[in-house]
Amino acid sequence: MGFIRFLGFTLARAGQGFWRNGMMSLAATATVVLMLVLLAGLLIVLGGLDSGLNYIESKVGVTARLVDDVSAQRIEQISAEVEAVPGVAAVEYVSPDEALGRLEEAYRARGQELDTGGAEITLYASLEVALSDPEAGDEVVAALALYPEVERITTRQDQYDTLLGVIGLIRTIGLVAIVLVGLVVVFMVVNTIRIAVYSRSGEVEIMRLVGASDPFIRWPFIVEGILCGLIGAAVTVGLVALAWGPIQPLLVSVFQMPTAVSDQFLAGLAVLLVAVGLVIGALGSWISVRSNLSSAA
Amino acid sequence: MTAPARPLPALPRIGPDTAPVIALTEVGMTYPNGKVALIDVNLEVPAGDFLFLVGPSGAGKSSLIRLLVREQLPTTGRVVIAGSDLAKVRRSQVYRLRRRIGVVFQDFRLLPNKTVTENVAFALEVTGAAGDHIRDRVPRLLGLVGLHEHANHRPSQLSGGEQQRAAIARALVHDPAILIADEPTGNLDPVTSWEIVQLLIQINAMGTTVLMATRNQEVVNAMRRRVVALENGSVVRDELGAAYERGYEL
Ligand SMILES: Nc1ncnc2c1ncn2[C@@H]1O[C@H](COP(=O)(O)OP(=O)(O)OP(=O)(O)O)[C@@H](O)[C@H]1O
Ligand SMILES: [Mg+2]
Repeated sequence: MGFIRFLGFTLARAGQGFWRNGMMSLAATATVVLMLVLLAGLLIVLGGLDSGLNYIESKVGVTARLVDDVSAQRIEQISAEVEAVPGVAAVEYVSPDEALGRLEEAYRARGQELDTGGAEITLYASLEVALSDPEAGDEVVAALALYPEVERITTRQDQYDTLLGVIGLIRTIGLVAIVLVGLVVVFMVVNTIRIAVYSRSGEVEIMRLVGASDPFIRWPFIVEGILCGLIGAAVTVGLVALAWGPIQPLLVSVFQMPTAVSDQFLAGLAVLLVAVGLVIGALGSWISVRSNLSSAA
Repeated sequence: MTAPARPLPALPRIGPDTAPVIALTEVGMTYPNGKVALIDVNLEVPAGDFLFLVGPSGAGKSSLIRLLVREQLPTTGRVVIAGSDLAKVRRSQVYRLRRRIGVVFQDFRLLPNKTVTENVAFALEVTGAAGDHIRDRVPRLLGLVGLHEHANHRPSQLSGGEQQRAAIARALVHDPAILIADEPTGNLDPVTSWEIVQLLIQINAMGTTVLMATRNQEVVNAMRRRVVALENGSVVRDELGAAYERGYEL
C-alpha cells in the first residue's frame, strides 16, 4: 500500500512538473526524438547492410573455369575432392550450355535479347563451389589451383570484404554521431530538471520541513526526466512506424532482407528505442537531481 | 488534540518527569563563515513543557532552533531529541525526526498557489499518508485552529493571523511531540499575537511540548511561563514563571 501511494504521488507530481515546465520539457523531448531518429536511421541502414552481407555470405563461392574437353569422369572426381575440403557446402558443375542459358536469362531479366550476331558461341565450363564457411575461400582457391584442368579462379570474397568494411565504417561514424547527440540530450534533460528543481524549491523546502523522506523528494524529478525520454521514444516509434511503408520494401529488395526478418526487426527496434529513451531520460535527471537537489536539510 | 489514525514511527516516548524531550549539553555552534552563534548552551526541556526562548536580535534563537530540527549540527556538544543524539541520526533518517517536531515561522511559509486545505494536506501527501487519513485529519486540524471557514482560501486571501493558524495546523499534521515556533507573532498585530499564543497554550495543554522563540515582551510577561534568555549565543537566564527581563515587576 505504502509503495503504491509513493508511486501514485511520484507519477502525479512528475506529470504536473512536466506540464508546468512545458517549454523546457518539450525542448528536451525534441532532442530525445532527434537522437532516437538518428539511432533508428543508423540501425535500419546497418540492419539492411547486415542482411545484405548475410545474403552475399550465402552466395559467396568460388568459381573455377575449366579448360575445354574435360571428361565427365574427371569432373566428377575433382568435384568429389573439392567437396571434401572443410568449409565447402556444395560443388556444382556448370556446362557450357548451361552457362549460355544463364547468360540469356540475365539479358532477359534486363529486358534485352542476347544478340550473338548469328555466330555460334561456346562458353566455358566451370565448377561453382558454394561455401558453408565464408572464411574458407582461400583454402578452396588453393585446392583448386592444384588441378591442371582449372584455368582461372574467381571469387566473391572481395565483394564480401568490401561490404564488411563499409558496415564497419558506417557503424563507427554512426555511433560517434549518436554518442555526441546523446551528450546533448543528457545536457538538455539535466537542464530541464534543474529548472524544475528551482521552480519548485519552495515546495521542496516545505517537504523537508514536514518530514518527507528523500525518495518522495527526489523521484518525482527523476521520473520527470524519464517522461521526456519515454515521450520522445513514443514519438520516434510513431515516426518510424509511419515511414515503415517505404522502408520495408527497400530492406527486402535492396538488401535482400527476408520479410519475416524485417517485421521482427521493426519490433526489436521499437523496444530498443523505448529502452534508450528511458535510460537517457533517467540518466539526465539523476545527474541533475544529484547536483541540484542536495540531500542536506 | 485528535488522535492520529495511524501510529507514528516509534521514537522512544519519554515521560514528563523522567528524561527531557529536548536536551542540549554544552552546545557550541559556529557557522561555516566563522560566525559564532551559540556558546556552551545547556538546556533541558521536559515533555509537556511550554518555554519562551527570548533575547535580542542576533542572540542565537533561530540558530538554536536550526539545531533542534537538524538543519545544522552543533560544532561542539550534543543535541538530544526524545532520546536520539541528532549527530548520530543518519541523513536519510532525518525525516523521522522532522515528523516528531512541528515548526512554524514568522513568515508562515505556506505555498501560495494552494488553498489552506491543500497546504495542510500537502504535508500528509508528501509523507505517503493514505487518502482516507488525509480527508479525515485535515478538517479536524482546521477545526482545532479555527480555520474551517477558510478551508478553501489561498494564503493571499487570509489575514496574517489566519495564515499563521494554517501554518500551525500544518505543523501539527503528524501529531508531533514538540511544536517549535520561531517568532510566530513577528508579523502580527498585538491582538492577533495574543490569539496565536492562546492557540499555542491550548496545544500545549493537550500534551505537546511547545518552544516559542520571541522578542514579544508583552506576551512573555503576561504568560509567566518558563523563560530561557539568550544573549550573544549564551544562555544568560533560565527561570520558571518568569518575565522577559530580569526584575520585571507585575
Ligand atoms: N546562515 C548563517 N550564516 C552565518 N551567520 C549566521 C547565519 N544565520 C545567522 N547567523 C548569525 O548568527 C547570529 C545568531 O543569529 P540568529 O538568527 O540565531 O539570531 P536570532 O536570535 O534568531 O535573531 P532574531 O531575533 O533577529 O531572529 C547572528 O549574528 C547572525 O548574524
Ligand atoms: Mg531569528
